[in-house]
Amino acid sequence: MNAPTPTASLAASRPVAEGGMELLLWILVWSELVVFGALLGAFMILGLLDPPALARLHAQLDLPLAGVATATLLGSGFFAARAAFGRQPRWNLAAAGSGGLAFVALKLVAYSHEIPTLAAMESRLVELYFLITGFHLAHVLFVAAILLAVAWRPTALRVATVATIWHAVDLVWLLILPVIYLG
Amino acid sequence: MHSSRDIPLPLVLGALLLATGLGLLASTLLSPLPRGFAIAALSGIKAALLVIGFMRLQRESTMLAGALVTYAVLLSALAGLRIALAG
Repeated sequence: MNAPTPTASLAASRPVAEGGMELLLWILVWSELVVFGALLGAFMILGLLDPPALARLHAQLDLPLAGVATATLLGSGFFAARAAFGRQPRWNLAAAGSGGLAFVALKLVAYSHEIPTLAAMESRLVELYFLITGFHLAHVLFVAAILLAVAWRPTALRVATVATIWHAVDLVWLLILPVIYLG
Repeated sequence: MHSSRDIPLPLVLGALLLATGLGLLASTLLSPLPRGFAIAALSGIKAALLVIGFMRLQRESTMLAGALVTYAVLLSALAGLRIALAG
């Protein structure tokens, strides 16, 4: 078996997807978006049905910290995109993965402030908030670990695949932000 | 490979960060109706920028990428509508 070696122009030399991988990636991206879309739709409906609970939830959320977390995730997406476009895949993927771990740390800090108060609230909105953000956090942690693993031994296909999934996770957060935090 | 038609990645990142900042400002400064419109527009722009600017897969199928952007814009619009209606 040939050991893949990182080069600066990996992605430049090969197509983004091969042998049906493109279709598989689209299915993966769409399934993520559909699942989170359904959860966010449920959150919006519950928010319309119970505005006081939504106001109580918003009062506990740390908006500036969510803004910093968003900037961290977007910066991480930038490095993943650089890797996918063939620019120093190893270092850019490592930077993207580190950004993902920084996002996890920021979200855990936010949870540590929110949980004591929110745990006392009996509301489906609060349950849905933890379900949506926790499910997304699990995605970030998992894909950040894969980013770091691919950074260890990058090939064009692996880089393109993991970068695409990372952008899908970024996109989900960009939809979580207006529905849960900015509302 | 980065083609000449692609938006430069630093420009995409800058626009995404700017839109995020504006969204946070809008959520704290504006009244419900303009806040809803501003947040929907900024969120839709961010989703489109991320797919078009960062996601290399969008080159493989313009139709699926367009559908993805439309779906994200629709969710952003619904979020904005909820804010505009309920505050």
